[in-house]
Amino acid sequence: MLKVTGLTVKYGSFSAIEDVDIEIGKGEIVVLLGSNGAGKSTTFRAISGLSKPSKGKINFEGSLIGGKSPDRIVQSGIVQCAEGRKLFPQMTVYENLIMGAYVHRRKKTQIKQAVEDVYELFPILQEKKHDTAGSLSGGQQQMLAIGRSLMSHPKLILLDEPSIGLAPLIVEQMFDVIQKINKDGTTILLAEQNANAALKIADRGYVFESGSIVVQGTSEELYANDAVRKAYIGA
Amino acid sequence: MELLVQQLFNGLTVGSVYSLVALGLTLVYGILHIPNFAHGALYMLGGYVTLTMMLLWGLNYWLAIVISILVIGLLGVLMERLVFHPLRKAPPIHDKIAAIGILLFLEALAQLIWGADYRTMSTPYGQVINIFGITFTMQRILINVGAIFVMVMLYLFLKKTFVGSAIIAMSQNREGAHLVGINTNKVAMLTFMISGGLAAIAASLSAPINLVFPGMGHLVVLKAFVIIILGGMGSIPGAIVGGYILGFTESLGATYISNDYKDLIAFLLLVIILSIKPQGLFAKGGH
Repeated sequence: MLKVTGLTVKYGSFSAIEDVDIEIGKGEIVVLLGSNGAGKSTTFRAISGLSKPSKGKINFEGSLIGGKSPDRIVQSGIVQCAEGRKLFPQMTVYENLIMGAYVHRRKKTQIKQAVEDVYELFPILQEKKHDTAGSLSGGQQQMLAIGRSLMSHPKLILLDEPSIGLAPLIVEQMFDVIQKINKDGTTILLAEQNANAALKIADRGYVFESGSIVVQGTSEELYANDAVRKAYIGA
Repeated sequence: MELLVQQLFNGLTVGSVYSLVALGLTLVYGILHIPNFAHGALYMLGGYVTLTMMLLWGLNYWLAIVISILVIGLLGVLMERLVFHPLRKAPPIHDKIAAIGILLFLEALAQLIWGADYRTMSTPYGQVINIFGITFTMQRILINVGAIFVMVMLYLFLKKTFVGSAIIAMSQNREGAHLVGINTNKVAMLTFMISGGLAAIAASLSAPINLVFPGMGHLVVLKAFVIIILGGMGSIPGAIVGGYILGFTESLGATYISNDYKDLIAFLLLVIILSIKPQGLFAKGGH
């Protein structure tokens, strides 16, 4: 479904990622592991069009999307739920969700249904629908960010560190929901530092280190890999 | 008592014009985070285009205003495309320098085309109405009604339509706007168009009670800056409320304190409000 080959992104003369190859099949959950600054977010930014790749190809369902503008990429079916959530803080929860459907703005009934689906996934958002996004707790904001990305009916969703800064109990709920979203037919590319939780739900994974992929394999392989265990699982 | 009511009405009229100008300024600030110093030039050209349409082509006042809105709106878009868009990755000071450059250029251009004379704009609404011993001119009533109508329409557009909400969304979180699939280039152009249109409306409505001349935008836009600073940079309610606060204070100050120091009051108000509430009245929390 998504095939990234030889992707390099430079900020000035500094290569944030170099020669990255990633492949995701339809219906999979794939996880990118790595510490802060290893290149996970840069890879996401390049796929969703926020950063221009300086080399390499990004092929999504047979068409090259590398270097296209972010709105075209959302239209083609890839949406990123960014780290830091990037919500609209003075808009209400409901308005944030509606904005998530911006690319489908003419399909009124579809939007209504999508809002209901998000409320079903995260009942707390329905309770707080008239509150501003900025007034929500960290966990609720993360739910809203995921909900907002689902509003565009993506085929592939890029989740950047959905567990960051959340209480352990909420993290568990979050991963359950991610699994549920996947079962409902959305392919998921996940970036995580919490390898333990991420590998439990992922099919396959890639390990980033200073801008390149150093290890890849199925979740079981990564879980059994000594270097990975030492660096990211701590066992 | 009659004097007070009369002055309150004058304050409302002046405030309406200030609010319209400040709204355009605050919208652009919200999107680009630059103070568009050239906004006063758009206001001035708005007055001239309306005047020229009426004098040269003998168009009716309303038709002239519509053309002025379109012309100045397009000029706003051109400004964004030719100047601010290419500078989007430059340090913020470049935008400010460029804005001042545009201001100087447009003013010189206006002087070249229309000369430096003060001109009057005639209005079909010159009648004077007398209610309870207080006189209102039709034009002043028109300014108030027109401004409030425009503000209500703008509010509905920003709040109730997807495209309007995109402007608000982009001002609250630019990357977030990218992520939901908003084409931020189009939104920036649209914002400049609305901003220019608002300036044209404000100038065309107020020109018959003031005069049209190349420097007519100076004081208005300076005061609009005072308004958006005291209302909170980028805040839309702040621009409206701030406009009326300034209008009332000025008009009452002119009557009860001194007419000569009328223009000083705006800046005095700025100093007072900023010392009490430095973030402005309607500052946005967390960017």
